[in-house]
Amino acid sequence: MTNSIGEIRDADFMFVIGSNTSEAHPIIAMEMKRAVKRGAELVVADPRSIWMTTIADKHLKLTPGTDVWLLNAMAHVILKEGLCDEKFIEENTEGFEALPEVLERYTPEEAQKVTGVDAAVIREVAIRYATTRKAAIFYTLGITEHSHGTDNVYALSNLVLMTGHLGAASMGLNPLRGQNNVQGANDAGATPIFYPGYQRVDDEAVRKKYEAAWGVDLDPNPGLNLNEMMKVAGTTIRAMFIMGEDIVMSEPNISHLEEGLNNMDFLVLQDIFPNETMRFTDVVLPAACFAEKDGVFVNSERRMQRVRKAVEPPGQARADWEILVSLFAAAGTPLESQTVSEIFTEMTSLAPKFAGITYEHIEKLGHGIQWPCADDESDGTRYLHEGGVLRGRGLFTAVEYRPSLELADDNYPLVLSTGRTLYHYNAATQTRRAQGLKVKQPEAYVEMHPKDAGRRSIGDGDWVDVVSRRGTLRCRALVSKQVQRGCIWMPFHFAEARANLLTIDEGDNVTGTAEYKVCAAEVRRVTGEPKPTRSSDREVEFLPGSFYRG
Amino acid sequence: MPFGDGETILDVTRRAGRQVPTLCHDDRLKPAGACRTCLVQIEGARRLAPACSTKAGDGMQVTTANERIDEHRQNLLALYLVDHHQGHDDCEDGAPCELHAMAAAYGAPTDWEPLPLARAERPNDDNPYIEFRADRCIACARCTRYCDEVEGVSAITMAKRGIETTVSTADALGLFDTTCELCGGCVAVCPTGAMAEKMPLVAKAPPERKLHKVRTTCNYCGVGCQMDINVDGYGNNGKGQVAKITSPPPGTLPSDGNLCVKGRFAYDFIDHPDRLKVPLVRNAQGELKEATWEEALAAAAKGLRAVEAEHGKDALAFVSSSRCTVEENYLVQKLARVAFGTNNVHQCAAT
Ligand code: SF4
Ligand code: SF4
Ligand code: FES
Repeated sequence: MTNSIGEIRDADFMFVIGSNTSEAHPIIAMEMKRAVKRGAELVVADPRSIWMTTIADKHLKLTPGTDVWLLNAMAHVILKEGLCDEKFIEENTEGFEALPEVLERYTPEEAQKVTGVDAAVIREVAIRYATTRKAAIFYTLGITEHSHGTDNVYALSNLVLMTGHLGAASMGLNPLRGQNNVQGANDAGATPIFYPGYQRVDDEAVRKKYEAAWGVDLDPNPGLNLNEMMKVAGTTIRAMFIMGEDIVMSEPNISHLEEGLNNMDFLVLQDIFPNETMRFTDVVLPAACFAEKDGVFVNSERRMQRVRKAVEPPGQARADWEILVSLFAAAGTPLESQTVSEIFTEMTSLAPKFAGITYEHIEKLGHGIQWPCADDESDGTRYLHEGGVLRGRGLFTAVEYRPSLELADDNYPLVLSTGRTLYHYNAATQTRRAQGLKVKQPEAYVEMHPKDAGRRSIGDGDWVDVVSRRGTLRCRALVSKQVQRGCIWMPFHFAEARANLLTIDEGDNVTGTAEYKVCAAEVRRVTGEPKPTRSSDREVEFLPGSFYRG
Repeated sequence: MPFGDGETILDVTRRAGRQVPTLCHDDRLKPAGACRTCLVQIEGARRLAPACSTKAGDGMQVTTANERIDEHRQNLLALYLVDHHQGHDDCEDGAPCELHAMAAAYGAPTDWEPLPLARAERPNDDNPYIEFRADRCIACARCTRYCDEVEGVSAITMAKRGIETTVSTADALGLFDTTCELCGGCVAVCPTGAMAEKMPLVAKAPPERKLHKVRTTCNYCGVGCQMDINVDGYGNNGKGQVAKITSPPPGTLPSDGNLCVKGRFAYDFIDHPDRLKVPLVRNAQGELKEATWEEALAAAAKGLRAVEAEHGKDALAFVSSSRCTVEENYLVQKLARVAFGTNNVHQCAAT
């Protein structure tokens, strides 16, 4: 996020796209509600009707996967109406020249044909956005989980840069992070192209610095991203170490992945619960959960905050960091840093963006530290890009619309999207075990429009098979007008009906993020006495119950 | 004392370090001026004025404690107590509720004749988290105002009048059947324990066991709300047990002391019997069997090294986790890069 969460309540215009905010980020939604009560305008762009659309001034119900059309048309209007912030563009950006030519054909009228959103509404929203000073944009996975996810983000940042809505409170471009520490995992360098603090592995000077600090030669070539790893699991990738992920549940195109995992030579899994991936694992290391360990999480607004140990882990389980320290030693490369705070300081001391951030500094400030941080005197950075754009100059990137990889056709006439709901969380190993949450949303379901359901003789609550080119799964139908005709939607939390059996593992060519949001599918009513299906008959080899309780 | 635009007497007295008790007030809410516990004396005014809802004015002389105010507070708190449940003065975790603590602090009499209970409960509300215990409620309306002004769902409202005043929902439905998102904010703001958590862990903790709080960061989403884990230090054979999670005071960054349903209530996974508790290593028969840490760590290192030796370093991949801490992610990438020489390290960043 370029802004802080507390600034949201003071925004005057909020454009929320591809984010089911009230379900995925309830507290952000709470701040948005406050702004709306104060009189701020809220525009939600989403293919489904969601809670946020009930309080929105406008709901742009666009066809899934047509975001670039919508955003380019908004940029088109801003350009034609002469609403660009020329001074900001002149002083802070580059690459603007390329924009007008590309945007020329993205008229609101044409956009209406592709997105289904009324041209007049597109025009009005664009003008309101451009002419409101405190205007902020929010997006999440609905924007990034597409084969053209990076294009979507470019199209959004073009809007921000051309209107100069950056570098002050309550305006800017705000990706809302899904999991608690997405920001921190990236900050810490758990990516194939960056060392901690976004320093590239192929930058010679950076590499030399780390070689000196770590005392080894380092590989100058970027590694594989997650999507690539999963595709070659069992072929080029022969062994995997997995910490805290249930890849079989959360990765797209599971059938292919399961086959790959079966062919792997060696797999280590470190987690707090048995999960679906455990079936393929050679060594399982029991880990501590967040309440049982010390450390730092970084939130969406880049705030480094302490996690503090409250209770001991169960049985022999140990904190992930402790296990890793031992694993370094077992692998013959023992570490110098032995405590969490030493490890943290080792990381921040080598990354200029985190300079001066230590446990003591975090404790002293009492509310976490938002990086970048200059030194141990600084109290961090509330909003990015103050007084000019961070990377020197903000770069415009003109993008063209590319259709999603898989479009609906005669055999698979429905467009399937997946997402999360408030009461569960990702692979759900945690929240499905929390008893109250099971009560509110106990079963997997597929949401479909009454017209689509009617044509297939499907009634609300009927068992159905959802079929894509990659697999079939069984769940109940939820007939509702929340989804548009021609679209269906599923939550991806349920082990017995894993929505990701159906989704595509082709991803965005820049980030490698898979296209969870759009794939072609069909729904069929199940007759007779249906049973939920499993994707594989290899059961988890659970040892006797008492064993887990020991 | 200087003051800013729109500041109330309460804001100013707090800055001056003066104690003024408040029951119906919460910094996140518009002042209601309903409970009258915060009354102060303004020089020249005949009647006492509520500090929480009276704006500071130029040259105003305010007295926060004197005989008149003290007597008023004692009587008022005694009146609230007769409307509150009788019985021991602690709520569920061994600590007195806000009302009892306040009554003790201001020396309010506790022996007044209790009122008969006239508030309606909602006995059939089968939501798993939030319980309304009418005998404790003093109708301060903090909960309903929070539900409306902060959470923005208006699931609960004040209903009836006089001693029958109660907290209810539209048609007295269970919370599941209302707009309620089960955020538990009503539980957090209630000064009397009338809005309470139903969780079995809390219910089980014997009242004499004091809980201690550990401030930490929520592990669910990227907002990173701060939360207080309330620990029963004797639980789980002395390993400590999470008894409940409460929210820090208003104003706490990043979320103003608010939590959502996941952060506040989805914690019983911590003590779930399915937790992995012992290292496992797959044996020659292909079964995962219990092992010591030494065996498991050695097996892990050996297995990874063997693949490295046979297929080269880039046949290894390391999947880290955006659920784990910064330090842990740092160590995984360092393990990949330093111990095994590969940049094949990533996490589920997008989901
Ligand atoms: S339930 Fe608690 S917060 Fe709500 S009105 Fe009663 S005493 Fe006040
Ligand atoms: S309490 Fe809710 S909104 Fe806050 S961090 Fe946890 S999951 Fe996110
Ligand atoms: S706190 Fe001021 S009237 Fe209740």
